[in-house]
Amino acid sequence: MLALIELPSFRSPGGALAVLATMAVWSGVCAAGYLRPAVAARLPAARPLACCDLVVTLATVLVTPLIDTPQRVTGGSLLPTVWVAGAPLALALGFGAGVGVAGALAMQGSVVLVRGYLGQTELTDLLLMVAAAGAVGYAGTVLRRSASEMRRAIELRAAVAERERLARTIHDGVLQVLAQVRRRGREAGGAAAELGELAGEQEVALRGLIGGGSPGILAAGRADLATTLSGLATTRVTVSVPGQPVVLPAHLVAEVSAAVRAALANVVEHVGPAEPAWVLLEDLGGRVVVSVRDDGPGIPEGRLAEAAEAGRLGVTGSIRGRVESLGGTALCDSEPGRGTEWTFEIPVVAR
Amino acid sequence: MTVTGPEITVMVVDDHPLWRDGVARELGERGLRVVATAPDAPAAVRIATTVRPAVVLMDLNLGASSGVSAIEGILAAVPGTRILVLSASGEQRDVLAAVKAGANGYLVKSAGVTELVDAVRRTAAGAAVYTPGLAGLVLGEYRRLAGVSAGAGAAGPTPRLTERETEVLRFVAKGLTSRQIADRLVLSPRTVETHVQNTLRKLQLHNRVELARYAIERGLAADDPDR
Repeated sequence: MLALIELPSFRSPGGALAVLATMAVWSGVCAAGYLRPAVAARLPAARPLACCDLVVTLATVLVTPLIDTPQRVTGGSLLPTVWVAGAPLALALGFGAGVGVAGALAMQGSVVLVRGYLGQTELTDLLLMVAAAGAVGYAGTVLRRSASEMRRAIELRAAVAERERLARTIHDGVLQVLAQVRRRGREAGGAAAELGELAGEQEVALRGLIGGGSPGILAAGRADLATTLSGLATTRVTVSVPGQPVVLPAHLVAEVSAAVRAALANVVEHVGPAEPAWVLLEDLGGRVVVSVRDDGPGIPEGRLAEAAEAGRLGVTGSIRGRVESLGGTALCDSEPGRGTEWTFEIPVVAR
Repeated sequence: MTVTGPEITVMVVDDHPLWRDGVARELGERGLRVVATAPDAPAAVRIATTVRPAVVLMDLNLGASSGVSAIEGILAAVPGTRILVLSASGEQRDVLAAVKAGANGYLVKSAGVTELVDAVRRTAAGAAVYTPGLAGLVLGEYRRLAGVSAGAGAAGPTPRLTERETEVLRFVAKGLTSRQIADRLVLSPRTVETHVQNTLRKLQLHNRVELARYAIERGLAADDPDR
């Protein structure tokens, strides 16, 4: 504005007018460009415009010696004045604090170049511009990160909602019919019982699929042992867990689950594929206890020790190994006629 | 007692007609008297209030309405009613809430007819019908309550299991029958049943006390002119 009044005092009033006009038009372009919905939704969309902004602004500074008097160029204020701060701030928003600060250095560098010296005022301006670009860039980064987290949360919520909708549909329709087929088949006996058993297996599998706990929002590297063990339930394996999730390091959950699967495989092999087994998970705070029990004939006393002495560690050894590698203990309690019961006790650090 | 004579009156609550009618027929064929059926919670409460069945066989998944609210409504209207939850496995939180609200037992839907009829009879006789899954949930709930009271000083007494009750409940959770448990602990099966029943009763009592306290706190807060 002031420059407009003082226009006649410029070395080249026409040139000054042209620069002022450029600044006005470019300000309009920038305002329209930065306020686009695409930029509001995603800051990096402002990057190309911010780069152009820097070039145009640098140009307005660098042409100053050609249109203004030497006194004003070295001593007074440059034609674009504080307008030059816009481009570094835009860069900071689009790219982050680092590029913003670099833009500020380039911009103030061009001012120093035009003036021919670095005085107290230039230094103050430089510091202010660097600080502003840094702060805006940091805020932009935080904004970007929270926006992407928000997007992730929204996606997760949509996925959970869809899963619940599907689960309800399956539960109210398919599962009811499968369960009914299983029950009536079992009563009818013969071939129908076989069909019923098949329906039952599908029912349990489908139920595990839809009811296997919502994906939940677990920190990376963590998993819910209760949900994982519940997934091992079949028509003959009953899994009992607490109502609260038992969130533990993912590797621990994987190892415990593998040990339980091995113990269940043992039941299939030594007791029978149709014999029932029960899994119980207990969360005692400082430790978790997992029991795997069957109602089979049991293992005669000394059999395990015999096998170990003969160098046949087999499944028992691998189960023990897994649990002991977690710092826990694996106890196998068996008596002829009373079935076999594995008890895994695993210490867990405060959660 | 609402049970008069040898016949046990039953109401079946399930939103799925296939199940509702199938189960009602099966129970009828085996000497139980199905006096009513209902598809949702409001109907269940309304019908139970007039029909007053001895046992309500209830699915927890009732479309838009919740089985837990039906249990609360029925027990408020007809306090003596025994409620047996018949539900799919994997609906753990609902089952725990149902039991705390006063249900006397839980059976998975895939249980056979004989098992179902037996469970209804035992429920009518006042026994607690447990599955291993329910035992696991109840054990977890007692431990959760103990943890809560150990952390931020709880306002009231926390229900606790005796050592014997914990022992019995762990056996139930691991699939042992009352007879097997009685054998191992050298107790009578009846004593085992009593221990099992107590574990549910204490939890329900605690739940009622908590609800009452909550209501009183809310009531006092509402009367407070400074609020």
